Amino acid sequence: MATLRALKRVLSGHRGAGSKNEGITKERASHDSIVDGFRILWQSLPLGIFMLGSRGEVLAANTRAETLFGYEDGEMIGKPVSLLIPEFNDPHSPVWRDEASSASPGRLPESAFRLVARRKQGAEFPVELIVRRSSFQNDASTLAFVEDRSDHYALLRNQQDLAHLTRVSTMGELAGSLAHELNQPLTAILSNVQAAQRFMAADPVDMAEVRDILNDIVQDDYRASEVLRRIRTTVKKVDVESVPLDLATVIRDAVFLLHTDAIVRETRVALEVFDDVPAVCADKVQLQQVALNLLLNAFDAMSQVAPKERVVWVGLTLQGDDMARIAVRDCGHGLTVGKLDAIFKPFYTSKPHGLGLGLSISRSIVELHGGRIWAENNLDRGATFYVTLPVGSDTESQKSRC
Amino acid sequence: MLEPETLVFVVDDDDSVRRALARLIRSAGHAVEVFASAREFLAEVDVDARPACLVLDVQLPDLDGLQLQRQLGATLPIIFLTGHGDICMTVHAMKAGATDFLTKPVCDTDLLKAIESALESANQRFASRCERDTLRQRFNRLTPREREVMALVVTGRLNKQVAGELGTAEKTIKAHRARVMTKMEVTSLAQLVHIADRGDIFSAGGTRRPA
Repeated sequence: MATLRALKRVLSGHRGAGSKNEGITKERASHDSIVDGFRILWQSLPLGIFMLGSRGEVLAANTRAETLFGYEDGEMIGKPVSLLIPEFNDPHSPVWRDEASSASPGRLPESAFRLVARRKQGAEFPVELIVRRSSFQNDASTLAFVEDRSDHYALLRNQQDLAHLTRVSTMGELAGSLAHELNQPLTAILSNVQAAQRFMAADPVDMAEVRDILNDIVQDDYRASEVLRRIRTTVKKVDVESVPLDLATVIRDAVFLLHTDAIVRETRVALEVFDDVPAVCADKVQLQQVALNLLLNAFDAMSQVAPKERVVWVGLTLQGDDMARIAVRDCGHGLTVGKLDAIFKPFYTSKPHGLGLGLSISRSIVELHGGRIWAENNLDRGATFYVTLPVGSDTESQKSRC
Repeated sequence: MLEPETLVFVVDDDDSVRRALARLIRSAGHAVEVFASAREFLAEVDVDARPACLVLDVQLPDLDGLQLQRQLGATLPIIFLTGHGDICMTVHAMKAGATDFLTKPVCDTDLLKAIESALESANQRFASRCERDTLRQRFNRLTPREREVMALVVTGRLNKQVAGELGTAEKTIKAHRARVMTKMEVTSLAQLVHIADRGDIFSAGGTRRPA
C-alpha cells in the first residue's frame, strides 16, 4: 500500500516525504523532474483517467476526469467508482463478463465499453470506458480511461429521430392514401350488397339489377386488390441504403438508445458481442429497427418477471464463415409452442396494445438482406430470437438487391 | 314509401360509389339523381322545384362538400358522407345545418334512416314554402290602397279608425276590406291576422308595414 500512497501523492502534486531531506542529490533532482513531467502529462491528458483501489475506490483522478464528472480538485479521491459509473461494479456488467471470459486474467480485452456515467449533480451521460488491471509494485489497482461520448450519441440520436420521422411520415402518408383508396371500393361493395339484399327481397326480383350489382362488386374487388398491389410496390421502392455495417455497433447503439427504457422497466441488458464479426452489407436504419424491435419485445416479454431476474442477453457471433448471428435471449414466459412461426405474420400479436407488425417488418427487413429470423424457446425459461445475416458485401443476395 | 314527388340527389366523384349509393337508395323506393361534382349539381338542379335532400361526399374535386353546403344555404337538407370521420369537419358541417354526417362505408339502415328524416324535413319546408308563395301571390293581387287597408286592419283598428288615418270615408274602407278578404281568400279577420303574422308576405310585397 505504501507504494500506492506514494504514487497518489505524486499524481496529486505532493512530493514524497524524502524530498524534505537536506542535501538533495543530483539523482534526486532528476527523479523529481521525471515525477513533475509525469504529473503534467497525467493532468493534461485529454482523457479522463482514474486509478482505482481494490475496493473500487478512487485513488487518483486527473483533471479531465474531475471536469468530466463535475468534481472539484481532489474531491473524487476516496469516492466509490460505482458513484461515477454505476454499472462498473455490477457483476453482470460487460466489463467483468469480458474479464471472466478472457484468456489471461488481469489483461482485459482492448475493446471499449459504452456505459452510462453520472456527474456529481446527478446528470447521466454516455461514456466509453477502457479498463486496465495493473499492479504497481505488487499493489493491485485498476486504471479506468473514460471518454465522454455525449456528442456522438446526440448525433446518433438526431439521425435516428430523423430516420424515424421520415419513416413514420412516409408510412403515415401511405396509410392515409391507402385508407382512402381502399375505402371507396369497400363503400361501393357494401352499398351494392345491401342494395342487392333489398332487391332480392322484392317480388318479382329484378334479376337484371342484381346481375349488374354482382358485376360491380367484382370490379370493386379487383380495384381494391389493385390498390394493395400498388402500395406494396411503393413500399418496396422505399430507398434501401446498403453499406458495409458493423453489427456490433448496430447492437450497441440499439442498446444505448433503449437505455432509459431499460431503466424504467428495471431490465438489465447483457452484451456478449464479438468485435471480430465481419461487416454485413445492409441498411443501417433498417437493421437498427430490427435490433430495437427484438430488444423491446424481450423487455415486454419480461414485464411479469421479478425485476431482479429481468435480463436480456444479446450475443453476436460468427456462424460458419459467412453468417453473422445475433441472438436476443429473454427470461420471460416463453412462446406458445406451435406459434413460433405465426408470430412473424403481419397483425399477429400477443400484446394487449400491439399492432402485430414489429416482427413481421423485422422479418421482411432480414429477408431483404438475405438473412433469416426465427425464434426458439429456451430450455430453462424465456425465448431467444435469432437473426442471421450474410457477412461481406458481395454475396449473391446482396448483388441482386444492391 | 314517402310521397312520390320527393327526390334524393347524390353527389360523389367516384363512379362506382355513386352507382352503388343510387341503387341502395332506389331499393328503398326513393327517386334518385346522381352527379359527379358539386358544379354539375349546381348547374343542373333547381333545388326549389320539389322536396328533396342531398347525399353529399365531403371530399370532392374543385368545389368540396362543405363549400357546396355554404353555397346552397338552407335550401335543402344535406347528409354528408366522408371517408374518415374528421371531428372538426363534422362540427363545421353540423353547425352549418347538415342533417347527418356518416362515414364510409355507410350502413344501409343508417343512410336510409337519415334520408327518411331528411325528406320529412324537406317535405315540411316545401309545404311551407308553397303556402308562402301562394299567400304572396294573393297579396300581390292587392292594389296599393288595399294593402294599406290590410296593414292597418290587421293591427286591430276599427274601420272608422282606418278611415280616419287614411283620410277617407268608413264606407270606402269597408269596401276595400271586403275586397282584401276575397283576394286573400280568407273568411275571418283572425285568418287575415294569421297571414299577416307570417311577416314575409309584407316584405315581399314591398309595402311599408305600419310601425
